[in-house]
Amino acid sequence: MGEQPVVITRVAQRHWHALEDDRVVGRGEASRRSDGRIFLSIDAWRDAVFDQLADAVLADLPAPLYTVVDEADLDLMSGWQRAGFTTRRREWEYLVPTDPRVTGLGSVPPPPGVTMMPAGAARPGPLRQVYDTIRAEVETSVGWQAMPGELQVRPEATAVLDPLRYAVAAESDRYVGLVRVAARRGQARIGLVAVLADRRRRGIARGLLAHALDSLHRRGIETATAEVDEGNGPATALFEGVGARRASSNLELVWR
Amino acid sequence: MKSGGIEVEGTVVECLRNATFTVELANGHKVLAHISGKIRKNYIKILLQDRVLVELSPYDLARGRILFRYRT
Repeated sequence: MGEQPVVITRVAQRHWHALEDDRVVGRGEASRRSDGRIFLSIDAWRDAVFDQLADAVLADLPAPLYTVVDEADLDLMSGWQRAGFTTRRREWEYLVPTDPRVTGLGSVPPPPGVTMMPAGAARPGPLRQVYDTIRAEVETSVGWQAMPGELQVRPEATAVLDPLRYAVAAESDRYVGLVRVAARRGQARIGLVAVLADRRRRGIARGLLAHALDSLHRRGIETATAEVDEGNGPATALFEGVGARRASSNLELVWR
Repeated sequence: MKSGGIEVEGTVVECLRNATFTVELANGHKVLAHISGKIRKNYIKILLQDRVLVELSPYDLARGRILFRYRT
């Protein structure tokens, strides 16, 4: 099929279509995240259509604009680079073994005075409290823009937290850390490992991770995935210290 | 109403390295599919055996784009 001219139309405030003979052959979309940043996506079957859509979207919206790509998706990467986007940050997806003989976590006891409570055992009120406190601490320190994208797009600010998805580290009077794990089709994803700022560097995160991985191993799940921002040294060290290996990476790109 | 590509349901039967998937359609045909930008932006993970909605390319019916992952 020969390449025919396409017409770019803004069909809604944040939606663009590329039309060829009245048929949609490409789409652009913008969405605003909870931190206020605008993220773009463009789907097109041909590079020329991608470029036309990018030109139209960039002309209609104020900078800076962001997007996310799988680093292995070279076609998409090159499309955004042609449009002038550059890499802002990278997050690695790790494959994390669960077998204690591999992770070396089998004999890791919780830090003194800390009890690990399994998923489903946390009380909703204190769980919400530690979760909100950790989020507030992130906002006043590194900020969400330096955290894995999954956390940014699911703020759960008003949602009810499901205790079945969270194991917590508890001291006598409060919860001090949590780990969120989701399992589907025999594959598990560690969505969040976090400890209150005044309780860090005591091995609590390692204890939470040991607890979560052991639970998965008992369920017959051999590997979990976790996303870590490349600049987050403590998290990188935590996961690589238990034998996690990098499997893929996502890039956040920006156009200024 | 403008029409897009043909949309068909299928099952992910292979996860490939370069952010693509092999999806087997109900008629037994297999297509090579990327994920849509919307799925990528929302960090929706596609796993083996997931049921998905695929838009076929109007230029090559062996290629597609995963638009939606069904809850199972």
